[in-house]
Amino acid sequence: MLEPPRLDAAVMAMVAAREFHDGAVVNLGIGLPLACADYIPEGREVILHSEHGLLGYGPLAQHPDEVDPYVFMVGNRPVRPRPGMVFLSHDESFAIVRGGHIDVTVLGGLQVDTGGNLANTHVPGKIAGNLGGAPDLATCAKRTVVLMYHTARDGSPKVVERCTLPLTAAACVNRIVTDVAVIDVTEGGLLLREVAPGWSAEAVQQVTGATLVIAEDLREVTIG
Amino acid sequence: MIDKVVATFDEAVADIASGARVHCGGFASPFNMPSYLIAALARLGADGLTVASTSAGTGMANAQQLREQLAPIVAWPMDYWDPGLLAELGRIKRLITTFPVSTGHARMWPFEAALERGEVELELIGQGSLAERIRCAKAGIAGFYTPVGPGTATAEGKEVRDFDGVPHVLERALHADFAIIRAWKADRYGNLVFRGARTFNETMAGAARVTIAEVDEVVPLGDLAPDAIHTPGVYVQRIVVRPAAPAQRWEDPC
Repeated sequence: MLEPPRLDAAVMAMVAAREFHDGAVVNLGIGLPLACADYIPEGREVILHSEHGLLGYGPLAQHPDEVDPYVFMVGNRPVRPRPGMVFLSHDESFAIVRGGHIDVTVLGGLQVDTGGNLANTHVPGKIAGNLGGAPDLATCAKRTVVLMYHTARDGSPKVVERCTLPLTAAACVNRIVTDVAVIDVTEGGLLLREVAPGWSAEAVQQVTGATLVIAEDLREVTIG
Repeated sequence: MIDKVVATFDEAVADIASGARVHCGGFASPFNMPSYLIAALARLGADGLTVASTSAGTGMANAQQLREQLAPIVAWPMDYWDPGLLAELGRIKRLITTFPVSTGHARMWPFEAALERGEVELELIGQGSLAERIRCAKAGIAGFYTPVGPGTATAEGKEVRDFDGVPHVLERALHADFAIIRAWKADRYGNLVFRGARTFNETMAGAARVTIAEVDEVVPLGDLAPDAIHTPGVYVQRIVVRPAAPAQRWEDPC
């Protein structure tokens, strides 16, 4: 049977960005999560944090005249300065993280399991992983959202019973947003809350490596 | 008279011996890297170094690719050298970092290649714990308990203790012999002002026996307002000024 279409990266970012309340302090991981900065819900002011000491930055710079060489975010990407922006040291930046002052972090993922454990640092085939600031963010943010494709390039599931890759942080994930579903990590297990248009709970379960609990009010993914 | 300004980069790093522990600042941008100090350390030839740095560094060839990629929006300076240069030259014995490898399979960083060849040691740690370990060294704190790490490889071999039901890992202060950092303005007392994200440059100042700051400009004492100084000069032993005319070839730092 032909699989229904999956959500594209922009829609996935919009779904994750629904989490940002007005006034939220948000950290976006590299990869898919970066796009969330472009989809902050209308009318909400959000303060974006970057690990190396940047708080309250604006959108990615697109033209040379928007570039301030001293305003970069992680990944060597110049971003636009924004009124209210603050520069910090690394230790202060992580006092903010460890101290629980980040409301929402959106991180990429390689695997998330039933216990809310996250593996997102060690890409298979590489000699070592890149932790970056992910362990602190995943552990200490008030809410940790993982934004990732539901399955790996080889088709294997990324939502699994038990992570097999090295863990970034244990029992840290609150919500998983993928290209086919929105799943919450709860004490009662992985709760399937939303499915992409055309997808049934059964179809999502088929591409998932862990048993899903189906929410009573299961609905189609909406943005906004 | 206090005057911490040193005339040349070679002079500034001259006593960094083989086997030294070196904290190296900067991250995420070509504009906060202590590039001339890194190049001088490469020229000096000290090897067997233990280096702490956020990232292993892309190395020069990969930096050139980034330079070309970003050219449409940002003029990435030619005088950029990162810890990847030291890895490329085989000067690093052990690296304490959060980001040891490139993000894709297409390109490999010099440290990553050395790691594959089994020539170097890696101590992998998250950025928050690395930053606080270095801050502790500066502040005279022996260690700290952090909720970050339990249940992961980072906690292996370390004490884990419960505080209010939450497991915490004991992380120890990370001292160094030298810290090489980048700032914007300095005075002869070594007071520093940074520009942009202050990264590990501010964190590492004072966490080593000798802190060496590469700056754009030295201003007369008194020009930096007390309210505006980020790092007091007591943390800094040497200041060295970047050349007015930047080096135009990344290919020959040595």
